[in-house]
Amino acid sequence: MKIDAQKCAGCGRCRAYCTMGAIGFVRTGDGRVYAAVDQDECVDCGVCFRAKVCPHDALYEPAPEWPRSVRGTFSNPLIEHKETRVPGRGTEEMKTNDVTGRFKLGEAGMAIEMGRPGTGARFTDIEKMTMAIAALGGITFEPKNPLTSLMADKATGRMNPEVLGEKVLSAIIEMTVPVERVPEIIARVRETASQLGTVCSFDLTSKVYPDGSIPAFDLAAKAGVQPTANGKTNVGLGRPLFVEEVKA
Amino acid sequence: MSHTLHRRGTPKDLKNDYVLFAMSAKGINEAGSHAKLQRFLEIIREFGPVNIGDMKTGNSFAVPAEEIVANTKDTSIVHGVFDSREKLLQALKAVKDADLGISVIISGLMDDVHDCCRKAGVERHTCETSLGIWGQTERLPDEDILKFSTMCGHGMVPFSLVKKIIEDVRAGRRTIAEGAAELAKPCQCGVFNPSRAAALLNEIMCLWGIRID
Repeated sequence: MKIDAQKCAGCGRCRAYCTMGAIGFVRTGDGRVYAAVDQDECVDCGVCFRAKVCPHDALYEPAPEWPRSVRGTFSNPLIEHKETRVPGRGTEEMKTNDVTGRFKLGEAGMAIEMGRPGTGARFTDIEKMTMAIAALGGITFEPKNPLTSLMADKATGRMNPEVLGEKVLSAIIEMTVPVERVPEIIARVRETASQLGTVCSFDLTSKVYPDGSIPAFDLAAKAGVQPTANGKTNVGLGRPLFVEEVKA
Repeated sequence: MSHTLHRRGTPKDLKNDYVLFAMSAKGINEAGSHAKLQRFLEIIREFGPVNIGDMKTGNSFAVPAEEIVANTKDTSIVHGVFDSREKLLQALKAVKDADLGISVIISGLMDDVHDCCRKAGVERHTCETSLGIWGQTERLPDEDILKFSTMCGHGMVPFSLVKKIIEDVRAGRRTIAEGAAELAKPCQCGVFNPSRAAALLNEIMCLWGIRID
């Protein structure tokens, strides 16, 4: 996002609408004040532009070139990812699990959303987390996730070096693991999160077992992380219903 | 993405915060699903949602509700927000009876949602929970601010906007209802709960000893 210095009257109405606090003011030699966007901090989310608060239409969105273009695709949910055709940063994950069968009994979906809430993430931090998790071995990052497509090496979690200088509002690291690996992943995320320059939001998905239990949640609690009281529930109304073969 | 997960708050102030939403699965039951998603929105509107929305069009504080319903696409994710468990339950029953064949998801207190599922006669299929916020949490604002901003999982409600609205209400420049509506606008999907935002604003004003008539 940019602000046309000639049009801007320096009223500051756009400032509160910046998700990254990247809008500041510049005073010229003749005392005129106008707003300017710190291009390194701006993630091209478009919130200030869509708020339509500028009385002089000074905000504008230049079409970004690679690799800056990843900022908008990961930060502006109105931009649909080519890989997933899902607007936003992730995948259908558990939302359509009744139809896709992506998460099966005995498996857990785990996702680390880097930069959420409201802090943003640099790809250097994202890579720290992907490489730390990949180093555990036997990890397959979700192939439909747009972040996975930016990895230069999916086995090690190394990102395309061209994007390492970029910053996004958030990006989601997604994987499906055998349920018994939940404590191991939690321990690795705990260890790596302490080395980050940002925050991340961590979540856990599981099918509900026929007896109504959710063992993955119990394993997280045993690993010292109590699942929150609120969460998401897919109520199984999608059709055709994915039928899972249950091993005897 | 988990755009309705990670909403911060105590069980007490999440009691009035439920998102009921629907989508089709790409390449499986996607073709022609826009009509079912449209029907979903029409059904849930009968039960008084405090916000509705679709990423493709916007939320009901930015765009007329009729436009949101009319513009559904096969790739839409359509949402309605309810500020009571009873409204959620009635809407869920109606959606189940309509047998649309698209995936339906509820975000909210999991025990309450489980209870609604039992009463509506539907089975929980898959659950997702938040394991919290990790890393440099000292970079985050107070929990009071997070309760507002995390109601938009895409991060479209900036911390700075929440602070500005609180200050505007405190200074009498906006009413609580106007402040809550302004906070709801940037959340394109329409999953922001303005009713809960108004309750939170009121609570903050009370804590500061400011009486709002």
